[in-house]
Amino acid sequence: MTTYLLKRLAVLLASTAVAAVAVFAFMALLPGDPAEIALGVNATPEAVAELRRQFGTDRPPVAQFLDWSGGLVSGDFGTSYVTGAPIGPQIAERLGVTVVLVLGGMVLALALAVPLGTFAAVRHRDPLGVAISAASQVGIAIPAFLAGILLVFVFAVRAQVLPSGGYVPITEDPGEWLRGLLLPWLSLGLVQGAVLTRYVRSAVLDVMREDYLRTARAKGRGAAGALWRHGLRNASVPVVTVLGLQLATLLIGAVVVERVFVIPGLGDLLLNGVAQRDLLLVQGVVMVLVAAVLLINFVVDVAYHLLDPRLR
Amino acid sequence: MLKVEGLTVRAGTVELVSDVSFGIAPGERVGLIGESGSGKSLTALSLMGLLPEGVTASGRARLGERDLVGVPESRMKRLRGGELSMVFQEPMTALNPLMRIGAQVAEVLTLHGRPRQEARERSVELLERVRLPGPAQIARAYPHQLSGGQRQRVMLAIALANGPGLLICDEPTTALDVTVQKQMLGLIAEVAPALLFITHDLAVVASLCERVLVMYGGRVVESGPLREVFTRPRHRYTQGLLAASRLTPRGTRLPIIPGAVPAAGHFPGGCVFRDRCPHATPACATTPALTGDGHAHACWHPAD
Repeated sequence: MTTYLLKRLAVLLASTAVAAVAVFAFMALLPGDPAEIALGVNATPEAVAELRRQFGTDRPPVAQFLDWSGGLVSGDFGTSYVTGAPIGPQIAERLGVTVVLVLGGMVLALALAVPLGTFAAVRHRDPLGVAISAASQVGIAIPAFLAGILLVFVFAVRAQVLPSGGYVPITEDPGEWLRGLLLPWLSLGLVQGAVLTRYVRSAVLDVMREDYLRTARAKGRGAAGALWRHGLRNASVPVVTVLGLQLATLLIGAVVVERVFVIPGLGDLLLNGVAQRDLLLVQGVVMVLVAAVLLINFVVDVAYHLLDPRLR
Repeated sequence: MLKVEGLTVRAGTVELVSDVSFGIAPGERVGLIGESGSGKSLTALSLMGLLPEGVTASGRARLGERDLVGVPESRMKRLRGGELSMVFQEPMTALNPLMRIGAQVAEVLTLHGRPRQEARERSVELLERVRLPGPAQIARAYPHQLSGGQRQRVMLAIALANGPGLLICDEPTTALDVTVQKQMLGLIAEVAPALLFITHDLAVVASLCERVLVMYGGRVVESGPLREVFTRPRHRYTQGLLAASRLTPRGTRLPIIPGAVPAAGHFPGGCVFRDRCPHATPACATTPALTGDGHAHACWHPAD
């Protein structure tokens, strides 16, 4: 296990390094010179050259990359071309908000999908089981932002029990913080929960046909006891894979939901950066998102190994 | 010990097993033979109360003083793995891949009331009893680290854990190598309290059982002491089955039973074998009863 962990960790570091090169190269290839953008169309060539020198964009790309990636290691993402403020602290603050949003949505999705999916599998012949399966299909067809808009319409516009958007830091008012996050969590959680319900259902259905479940019953367990003790952990192996993929999609998809609910997360920061052509900020946010996806995959692989002794 | 009377298994309106009756005395080893689809496994599963969804059993089956058919699941649950236990055909998939062997053996003990610590110690003893080398290490292993034969021994240890009155084995050696098969059969013969052994392999039955039941089309067509049934088969199906498994001189055609086993629910009325039987006459349209003391057969035109 330890050797596996070290190996997998090495892979994580290597792939993050490759990702850094890719992100940097991609941004460098984009047309547009930060100095020209900052000074506008009427700037003199001398002023542009001077600003380039200040930004450091007059140096060869390799030197720029080494400078940037060296900073990343210590959490220094450089200084914004537009505002002149350091980028690292901004990303850290926004990342916290996004992580809370995404994890909350995921927990809700799991809380819905595990019991519903299991129930739908056990009762796959009953009308109720079929109904859950069909309802989850509908849930999959609805994108998260649309679910968000519908939820806002029902709870904020009609019933007026929850705010339609906005974000209050937990340090200011925990109650308002929670109220502000409920609808975003719901819109992410319902949609992801619907997708996950289908995966849980099919995983449990597969497990129910396994011989070891019959063995468990031959030992004297009831059908429910056998499924609980022997089935669910086995069913969780494929579900964990999907969970990892979903978490990654959710992180990227949060960009849209943050827009709908006016939440100052990483997605919001990214869109602002794009709008203001703050290239270094965009580069930093993209790098963080890519690294987060790589980290999720790492966690999924390790979870796999903990769950399934055949992989050890 | 075990007394089965008029056991019938149905899936909806289709009769899969019809009116099966037999008994097993304490210490007796009975073989249940027949081709795939003859209803052997369903007979066993109905005794265990483990029939698949949508399949139901009726009739009577008693193990000692306890009923096995038409009994609520809560009562069957207490019998399974206790008084009555079963070893299945496929050892490779019968154990939970994510659980250590020791825990899987101990589970059947704790389920039937043993304290956890005691169950753990006892499970190592059980693994030793089925002659697994290094039982303590085996207890810590996961199923994928064991061979098929070893896994089947583990299944046997689980089945024997609570000292059952009757052990049911459903083709327990079919998936094993021939050499391992022999050892496994020897072990089963040694440890089984009373045995119902299901197989399609006549040689296996011959080496293990004292009495044999021959099933075809969901019915018992012949039953009796092994030696008699195998040397002097009365039912034409048994006769064909034995002829097909006998070694034939070089250059001669292999004897076969003409036709194929019909799908469930498509057996002819009357004698279930009459559409494949070379001796069938119009009389066979009436169902023959299983008659005869000791060596019984259900055939209008028995061989003699």
